[in-house]
Amino acid sequence: MNKAEREKWYEYHSGKEGIPVEYLKRDFEDELSGKNAMDDPLEIPDKMDVIYKYSYGQQSRFFRELRENKKIYGAKCNQCSKVYCPPRATCSFCYEPTEWVPLEGTGIITACTVQYFTTSAFIKKLPFICAYIKLDGTNFIMMTNIEAKDVSQIDVGTRVKAHFREERHGAITDVYFKPIEQE
Amino acid sequence: MRKVAIVGMGTTKFKARWLDKTYYELAFDAGKMAMEDAGINRKQIDCAVYGIYNDFFQRQYQPDAFVHDYLGLGLKPMVRVNSGGATGGSALRIGYSEVASGLYDICLVLGVEKCNDCYNYEVQTTTPEVLRAILYTADMTYDNPAGRTAASGFALAVIAHMKKYGNPTEEQMAKVSVKNHMNATKNPIAQSPKILTIEDVLNSRKIVEPFKFYDNCLYTEGSSAVILASEAVARELTDKPVWITGVGASADYVMPGNRPNIYTFESSRQAAKRAYQMAGIKDPIKELDLAELHDAFTGTEIMAYEDCFFCEEGQGGSLIDNETVMPYGELPVNLSGGLIGCGHAVGATGIMQTYEVALHLRDEAGERQLKNARRGLVQSIGGTLCTWTVCLVLERED
Ligand SMILES: [Zn+2]
Repeated sequence: MNKAEREKWYEYHSGKEGIPVEYLKRDFEDELSGKNAMDDPLEIPDKMDVIYKYSYGQQSRFFRELRENKKIYGAKCNQCSKVYCPPRATCSFCYEPTEWVPLEGTGIITACTVQYFTTSAFIKKLPFICAYIKLDGTNFIMMTNIEAKDVSQIDVGTRVKAHFREERHGAITDVYFKPIEQE
Repeated sequence: MRKVAIVGMGTTKFKARWLDKTYYELAFDAGKMAMEDAGINRKQIDCAVYGIYNDFFQRQYQPDAFVHDYLGLGLKPMVRVNSGGATGGSALRIGYSEVASGLYDICLVLGVEKCNDCYNYEVQTTTPEVLRAILYTADMTYDNPAGRTAASGFALAVIAHMKKYGNPTEEQMAKVSVKNHMNATKNPIAQSPKILTIEDVLNSRKIVEPFKFYDNCLYTEGSSAVILASEAVARELTDKPVWITGVGASADYVMPGNRPNIYTFESSRQAAKRAYQMAGIKDPIKELDLAELHDAFTGTEIMAYEDCFFCEEGQGGSLIDNETVMPYGELPVNLSGGLIGCGHAVGATGIMQTYEVALHLRDEAGERQLKNARRGLVQSIGGTLCTWTVCLVLERED
């Protein structure tokens, strides 16, 4: 490829895969300028991508309450009275419908760890805490991030409280938790 | 049910990257080796079971169709299995059923995974993007947005075990890492043969509390395959059949809130119990000669000692301290190097572990051959906090 063809190639792939041109040049300049042999393995940039208009189904109210009212709702089984959060429309043990119940938004850490390495999507957040918490008034645990000034103060048994983002999208990340003592 | 034997097997090297092969080219190599080892050709295969985990890794949905085509097995029945890290074990379980049921006489069970085409251009490494692909297997609504990784899920379990029983200690975990990296030095297909000290492991960089770099397996590319056959066919094909005498499987609640605790993996206990029952094993530590356990992390290998009933609940750490699981111990664990030393080529891993045990049972393991190996265990684990476990008991003829 000549220089003009190469520039077109960079522009095309940068647009298609969202990779900055400087990275493409760094990784593909040798290949495109003919430095590799015809039988060498040939690498290409690519990306897999699907766009959704996803329905939350019977859990829809949970996310509207988060987004509109900064409230966390659980789902209580009509038969065994267990409260699910994350919610379910049907109790998976009794096969009976559940009903919505508002929760206080406080709870306790049942397991936690600090991540120092993670996926591409979360690298800029490092280090951060992943924890299972049991919200007061529920019988199940949920995965969440804990935000704390000092990660060493977080442990099993630490009491936490829900906080809500200024900008909410109708996703579980609209809510996050902080230790109650650190407020 | 009919008896089922492994009559042929093959594996590619487990490497960080096979730049010169696509996933179906890798699969072809392993499949061809297995057929040659069994002394059969593609026309004699009755059906196939493929273990392939992550479609994002392969950059292809339904990659099994292309593997089947490339192997020249068109018009033969096949099915693809996916149970996360336990994909290889699950593929073997389904392959076993195909033959044991009498439906087919010769079944190819083949696992393949090629993860490191995923690439993060900004940090110029593959792993963060591999992990991003994996995170699509966490619950997309409630778990994925927290940025949890497979490592942090298992770290939570190991921490819960430490808090309950006071072990595994970080030093015990380091000893497992030293053992598995060392075992890998005698395995020609292994990705990470290394002579390490306990200090090397303890001082390696933190990944997720309490795991350091050397406590983790690495992501690997590779393919492994076995040929399963009915007893009548096995007798014709080989003098060294390896019999599958126990098969156990369990899938736990994936939402951990639905489990009573996370310091033990009930799916592993159930799978081991069932496999032992079927094989007539009552005292596994005495009746097994070797085991390949799913050591995605050092701490979970120690938990697996308990979940496979090698010791009482809570005593796992003692088996590495008293050297029971060393190559010269009473029950050597992960002579291949395991996932930590040999590598974790997800869909192929359970089949590589089976290959390793069968190799010892056939007296063909070369430098690392265990003397008088008659019966071995394979444990294959996958999913958030050990969703799936498959256990297989393998035995030699006499
Ligand atoms: Zn109920």
